[in-house]
Amino acid sequence: MNKKFRSLPTTRRYKGLLVEPKIRNFFTGRIWLRRDTPFPQEKINTYIQHHYFEVLPAVLDQPIRQCRRCLNTNSRKFVSFHCAKCGEICHYCRYCITMGRMCSCDELLLWKNEHPQKTPQSHTFHWQGQLTKNQARAAQELTRSILQKNNHLIHAVCGAGKTEVLFPAVYEALQLGKRVCIATPRTDVVLELFPRFQQVFPKTCIHAYYGNAPQQQGFAQLVLATTHQLYRFENAFDVMIVDEADAFPYTMDEALQQAVIKVKKKEAPTAYVTATPSTTLLTRKTKEQWGYSFIARRFHGQPLPIPTFQALWNYEKTFQKGQIPIKLRNWLQQKLTNNEPFLIFFPTIDLMEKAIPLFQQIDASIAAVHAEDADRKEKVVELRNEQRKGLLTTTILERGITIKNVQVAVVGAESSIFTASALIQISGRVGRNKDFPNGDIVFFHHGITAEMDLAKKRMLDFNRQLQ
Amino acid sequence: MQQKITHCLICERSLQFTFGWKELFKRELPKMICESCEKKFQRIETQEEEGTVSLFHYNETMKDFLHRYKFLHDILLAHVFNQVLQQHLKHEKSIIVPIPMHVDSLKKRTFAHVDELLKAAHIPFEHHLIKITGEQQSLKSRQERLQTPQLFEIIEHSKIRNKNILLIDDIYTTGTTIQHAKRALKEAGAMEVRAFTLIHG
Repeated sequence: MNKKFRSLPTTRRYKGLLVEPKIRNFFTGRIWLRRDTPFPQEKINTYIQHHYFEVLPAVLDQPIRQCRRCLNTNSRKFVSFHCAKCGEICHYCRYCITMGRMCSCDELLLWKNEHPQKTPQSHTFHWQGQLTKNQARAAQELTRSILQKNNHLIHAVCGAGKTEVLFPAVYEALQLGKRVCIATPRTDVVLELFPRFQQVFPKTCIHAYYGNAPQQQGFAQLVLATTHQLYRFENAFDVMIVDEADAFPYTMDEALQQAVIKVKKKEAPTAYVTATPSTTLLTRKTKEQWGYSFIARRFHGQPLPIPTFQALWNYEKTFQKGQIPIKLRNWLQQKLTNNEPFLIFFPTIDLMEKAIPLFQQIDASIAAVHAEDADRKEKVVELRNEQRKGLLTTTILERGITIKNVQVAVVGAESSIFTASALIQISGRVGRNKDFPNGDIVFFHHGITAEMDLAKKRMLDFNRQLQ
Repeated sequence: MQQKITHCLICERSLQFTFGWKELFKRELPKMICESCEKKFQRIETQEEEGTVSLFHYNETMKDFLHRYKFLHDILLAHVFNQVLQQHLKHEKSIIVPIPMHVDSLKKRTFAHVDELLKAAHIPFEHHLIKITGEQQSLKSRQERLQTPQLFEIIEHSKIRNKNILLIDDIYTTGTTIQHAKRALKEAGAMEVRAFTLIHG
């Protein structure tokens, strides 16, 4: 028996490799650390031997030191050490270390073959809602730009219903077999968008990526990701949509640009969606002749509530003395008697932590939230459910949250952290509900800044365009 | 280390530097973390174990730190405790011996975490032990730990005989590691063996 088998001509055996869909789905458009994949090492090695992967060093040394995953070149972010694994001096990037440390002797895998799906996925569009006239126009313009592979900027007031504007364009792109990515700076926003898109596109494979997201199966034609998670993609998307493009500190602008260029395919168009475009974005729009849509009207058609300025001299000292400044106290009392939920923004965690016990003496349900607060989500839900009267917060809640009939105060509006765009976003929390289109927004300050004036002017401009 | 640290190693906020006579003459190591991060670590007031001194409680902040240092392999974080370790160990007269790692785990981690803590604090040390098993104590139950056969071997007995030794480890959990090392050193003829850990779990 055995001899017979051995005598069979071996040349006839199929020597190629049948690519497992699991592996192809996972790696298409990804850049991934070789020693840390969800697949057995031997399997990965076989695919490498068959040239399915390009193997790259994790840290480049020439022409300058650069992290191959996040493209960071800031030398302050690199650490050199004597590596016990390779026995030489290794460098690693601290910028993207939360995704797993990679040093010079580590390798990255880049999937080479690009033919993700033999049969195109079918998509359906389930949306009962109705676009307003303005939204419909913007949606049409966005779709046109994307089909023409032109970049696009959607400039819309807070509460204009920007997500709905994306639906038709995303649907169109999906039907053409394009891979679409919607990137946003905050995990909270990804978590909010994910179920909405799943509802609207029930047949589409959608993945959501954020820190510690669970592993997801299949090939996602639509990807929702935090901008940080973009570092794990490369040359992946036919359409890029960057939501809340202004949410980055000014210096991050360039890093974001780089990340967007890296994850999209060369010819792919990018659309930016924001209420407060930076000057850089506006200049690029004009210079590079992007498509442009402007929505001045909120979806319910009412004008934006305009902030009022109130002097709160030496508020820091008053808090130091263990008192709430009198004007702020009156404002608070008024909201409590009217039984209206409120948000009070603080410039620093320190000041907020000094203030919170004073507020809790007045009403015990008032709580404070900040970026490192593990119970942040729960506290916001409790405010929404009227279990809490109000919250003190840092700028972390400046965008993405909607609370019916919320009233807003900014303490220390003159602080440098409250830029015009932050103030516009904060003011945008007010009057989002069609039953409560008005609301109170007060900037309590120790001197009026140009940023405060600019924010107010921009909002008045929006309202003027309604007429 | 290659560069001056200007931002807190833990929260990335920029560090405030004070320049005074103290900084000039005492030659303290530079500060690596900001005050608010420093406050979140909790110091131990009264020692619980006989013959072992530990500095910090294993609270949430410490858990995060250890995760980032030992499991995310951010070797730069070895410098977080440079000042406090130097303060405690610079007048030590015994031979300072860090608990070693097994060769395989060392290759995997790419650095010896206890050695790096000491290097960052500019504390000289000597290796006299070899770890002979690659098993990790943290993955075992209490019962299993108590029944483990000797974890260490002595490199050269003559260098240990009649010497006082201070063992260093990152964390004291059940004490198995320290007990094994102590026994091995005593059997090799060491005089007094004490232990010092950064954390008490």
